[in-house]
Amino acid sequence: MSEATSRSQSPATDLIGSYFLHLWRQNSKTLGLKPEELEEEEELPTALDTVKSSGGFSFVGPDKLSVSYPNVNLHGHDVGVVQANRPAPSKRFLYYFEIRVKNAGAKGQVAIGFTTSAFTLKRQPGWEANSCGYHGDDGLLYHGHGTGEAFGPTYTTGDTVGGGINYATQEFFFTKNGVLVGSVYKDFKGSVFPTVSVHSQSEEYVSSRNIFLSLLLSLPCLLCVHATPPLLWMAVNFGKEEFVFDLEAYEAEERAKQQMKIDNISISQDASHGIVRSYLQHYGYEETLNLFDIAGQSTIPPISLVPENGSKEEDVMYALNQRNILRQLIRYGEIDDTFSKLHEWYPQIVQDDTSTVCILLHCQKFIELVRVGKLEEAILYGRNDFAKFKGRSELDDIVKDCAALLAYEQPLKSSFGYLLQESQRELVADAVNAMILSTNPNVKDATFCTHSDLERLIRQISACVLEKRSLNGDHGEAFLLSKILKSYKKV
Amino acid sequence: MATSKKLITKQEWEKKLADVKVRKEEMNKLVMNFLVTEGYVEAAEKFRLESGTEHIDLATITDRMAVKKAVQSGNVVDAIEKVNDLNPEILDTNPQLFFHLQQQRLIELIRDGKVEEALEFAQEELAPRGEENQSFLEELERTVALLAFEDVTNCPVRDLLDISQRLKTASEVNAAILTSQSHEKDPKLPSLLKMLIWAQNQLDEKATYPRINDLSTAALEDPAV
Repeated sequence: MSEATSRSQSPATDLIGSYFLHLWRQNSKTLGLKPEELEEEEELPTALDTVKSSGGFSFVGPDKLSVSYPNVNLHGHDVGVVQANRPAPSKRFLYYFEIRVKNAGAKGQVAIGFTTSAFTLKRQPGWEANSCGYHGDDGLLYHGHGTGEAFGPTYTTGDTVGGGINYATQEFFFTKNGVLVGSVYKDFKGSVFPTVSVHSQSEEYVSSRNIFLSLLLSLPCLLCVHATPPLLWMAVNFGKEEFVFDLEAYEAEERAKQQMKIDNISISQDASHGIVRSYLQHYGYEETLNLFDIAGQSTIPPISLVPENGSKEEDVMYALNQRNILRQLIRYGEIDDTFSKLHEWYPQIVQDDTSTVCILLHCQKFIELVRVGKLEEAILYGRNDFAKFKGRSELDDIVKDCAALLAYEQPLKSSFGYLLQESQRELVADAVNAMILSTNPNVKDATFCTHSDLERLIRQISACVLEKRSLNGDHGEAFLLSKILKSYKKV
Repeated sequence: MATSKKLITKQEWEKKLADVKVRKEEMNKLVMNFLVTEGYVEAAEKFRLESGTEHIDLATITDRMAVKKAVQSGNVVDAIEKVNDLNPEILDTNPQLFFHLQQQRLIELIRDGKVEEALEFAQEELAPRGEENQSFLEELERTVALLAFEDVTNCPVRDLLDISQRLKTASEVNAAILTSQSHEKDPKLPSLLKMLIWAQNQLDEKATYPRINDLSTAALEDPAV
């Protein structure tokens, strides 16, 4: 007993304590941890880049969403290329934008594609290494050199053309007038900018230009400041307006393809059953476990309950009934009873009143007093007990959150309302549960006390997906359990 | 093995695992989704009380499980009645399911040795449907073939009498009811496990790292170098 009752906290106790404090901060809306969904958000391209353009060979309109080719009598190489103001966001499933060719001119050339930041903005997208472009005049796909490959139809005045990246398959894809044209493997790394180009080299162009000019000159229009009126021009849509292409349907289709690959993997039929079972054992949901086992035996065919690993079964069943009783007490807000049961059963856990698990319980006691409106008692309790934590300044933020509940007439509606949610009780119950598991002399690894098998599996999925993404130039979606829970697969 | 593969030690990997955010509420929801979808009514209700996790109306599970049980134990007439009580549109809009239930009914009649009744039922109820649909007709012929053998335990279509045929029909009804209730027919947990295997396979192409090879222990293996 001497080791377990020693005053200094064991590394396992520290680990369990910091795990649950971290969870607390994660739940808090005030402690400054961003929800994971927000961490994934990236800035989107919203306009064309007017600073870094191929000076003189293209003209970006004042809305920064249209491009024209103002120059005449230019050399054939002088292509007007414009990139978006930001690279395509990549921590996602796919990205897409569209252009509408307003006027392709007589022999105009327009192209849509993707280029890197190092791209020379006087060359057609696709002609240079690390770029890709679908060209309107010949319908060819250019992918890293000046020779195109047969790809799709040509496009011209009146057509809407789209370019996208599917990060799951690492492919560029292009559309014309709402129809998918095709896709090509993205064989270079790094982030890419949505890019458009305009080019014209026609002599007839001059005369038509003059007609256009004379028309325009009669209008006191702002555009005229820029000397040359647009003749060959296109509008770019970065998503501000609805796309012609049904992107949602495309995404659903592509996701279904990926899902099919996942669905085709075979796993043992009883694997899920076993994981649910060990989850119920881990957290001490004993009554659910009993009903689950009874139901499992009466299914056709019955599910085998023989654990594959006997000693592990023993460890997850450790103190199951006591863990269950304590969980229920905390869930009903009976913190005094929780303390007295702990003193009776596991004195080593509550011996040090400034251990993290004790602090969690004291905070919960305070919260329960606020919940039932016993504010004076709460204040007295807080003055008496929060002082004990003075030695642990790293807990100041948590104590402050609790104390802040007193400031509100309706604390539940305040930004500290999360403390009054069921999830906070659950967190404290989970911490006590983990501490009891750690008293099992067979347990060597503290993460066994904090993590259920299910949690281990979820962490592994997320880490694999993130690691693959980081080895893949930050391309692709993260794994978010919340998204999986929300998704509803149509049958 | 390609030399360009990144090697991640167990220590480095554990750090990455620790950085993952996992919410207890979400795991509870995942477990609840499993209990509800797989029809563990009592356990789901108890889990709501023990963990505070909400779920859909459990009455719908009870009804659904009653239908499933009826098919599993061979009471097809009872099952059809129960499905229609639940929502008559389920069978109206799902001719294949209705045919499979009727086929199961025929199988049960044959199993019980009610030869005359079986023949009558096949001719009056099933044959007209077979005329509408070639695959139904083939299925019907296969089923009626059971009557042609004295020793059905040794005939080429004996699989129809197998318990697995009942389970197949039962799970088809189960899925149809779930769909009609706008509920997914499969629990999310098995596909999450598949996703784990998939994600690990994907990362295998780029890196060597500690894998989880045994889902039942969730133990982290040392990276194989």
